[in-house]
Amino acid sequence: MEFFFEQLANWKYYLIGGYPEAPLTGLSLNIVLALLSISIGLFFAVILGLGRISCRRYIRYPCSACIDIVRSTPLLMIIFWFYFFLPVIGAKLHLFWSAVIALSVYAAAYQAEIVRAGVLAVPMGQMEASLSSGMSRFQAMAFIILPQAFKMMLPSFVSFFNSMFKSTSTVYIIGIVELTRTGIIISQLKPNRIFAAYACMALGFWIVCYSLSFAAQKLERKLGILDYESYKPEICRDDLILIPLPKAVKKYLTTQK
Amino acid sequence: MKFLNLRYDFDWGIPFREPFLGWLVTGVKLTLLIAVVTAVLSLVIGTVLAIMRVSRFKILNIPAKIYVETVRNIPGLFWLLFFYFVFPQLLPSPLTDALNGYVYYSVIAGILGLTVDNSAYVSDIVRTGILGMPRGYMEVAVSTGLNRLQQLRYIILPGAFRTILPPLGTRMIHNFKNSSLCMAIAAPELTWATQQIESITFRGLEVTFLATVFYIGLSLAMAAIVIRLEKKWKINMTSITSMRT
Repeated sequence: MEFFFEQLANWKYYLIGGYPEAPLTGLSLNIVLALLSISIGLFFAVILGLGRISCRRYIRYPCSACIDIVRSTPLLMIIFWFYFFLPVIGAKLHLFWSAVIALSVYAAAYQAEIVRAGVLAVPMGQMEASLSSGMSRFQAMAFIILPQAFKMMLPSFVSFFNSMFKSTSTVYIIGIVELTRTGIIISQLKPNRIFAAYACMALGFWIVCYSLSFAAQKLERKLGILDYESYKPEICRDDLILIPLPKAVKKYLTTQK
Repeated sequence: MKFLNLRYDFDWGIPFREPFLGWLVTGVKLTLLIAVVTAVLSLVIGTVLAIMRVSRFKILNIPAKIYVETVRNIPGLFWLLFFYFVFPQLLPSPLTDALNGYVYYSVIAGILGLTVDNSAYVSDIVRTGILGMPRGYMEVAVSTGLNRLQQLRYIILPGAFRTILPPLGTRMIHNFKNSSLCMAIAAPELTWATQQIESITFRGLEVTFLATVFYIGLSLAMAAIVIRLEKKWKINMTSITSMRT
């Protein structure tokens, strides 16, 4: 137990590393990665999510395919793709930025699903009313539908930030020194204190994630969406396959025996 | 491909040359093994945890809640590393030596870590399903005269599993994708095999491409199976909810 407190005295290594002199490492790098990837991802997520519910096929199909392909690839594979493939097409990027790109591609696909569900949850009358008041479809979407949809999406975004924050631990594999790597390095320096080092690492993740999920719960309760009493699996589930399937496959899937 | 200015010449023979093909085949087998075993184990543990959490007794309720809250807020990768590096150190020393000497301990650690991570999410999903059952269902269960465990086993759980099938399927697909994290602890599964080939031949793109196609194909196939099962097992919920009065 005293080993644990001894490790806690090294809190600076776990939190920021030797930041002002050396590059930023540790828990704050996780937070920076998560924030960057989510905000870059959100921009593309709005485009993809709206494209996914577009009434034009040549927009809808490519968007669904993009979302589906990224969603069914492991995050590790996406990270490796950008880590190995970007140098091949001639882009010389810092390790940090290739991680940010990979994470934001991953975030964009998942957030697109949230955006789509949020936009579909706004009542149809809103769109009809804004169209009949003389707005264009773009104006109606930007000024009427999306603001309401974002309010509904807020709890999902917070819980997605939670899962994204946990996913940032994966980039330690390509050699970025964030909290996981910091914990491993410290545990390798002092092999007899391995449990204490891992406990500190877990504590760091736990505190951030627990406060986030607590905030998500509070938000859900405040906005009154998705409590267990009104849980309807048909409405709040995400679709398993978005890629338009051939008619024969669709028929096979939907016929009941 | 002049316009892209690729600094790479593809050699699609690499994945089919001998030592590499063997690694890839073993990798696919191990990936499937890890995914299936963790799915089954976490389904069992998750259901037990969910039943504990909806129980009235605090002695069952609180430990399950602590477990779920702890595991859900720590990344899955941590549990893999924990079971590989730390867990053997906590055991008595003869066991530690035995585990460190065992070649496939990384696979076992991977299965343990993924199960711990996944079971917490599964328990949350199952709990949602149990709490989301219509009131009429519960009333029927009580009025049949079965005891509480029998009510769960014969009436509530079968209904709950039908409604939670889509989120459960999403979770299992996620678990299958997470099995690629096992490469962090050097379990020789598919992602590890591709990285090994990359580090030996410096030609990672071909194998990475093949592995990605494998993951995407299997994920989509699993999703199709879940949709099919959902259609097959669907029950008419309106007739049950109308019993509410």
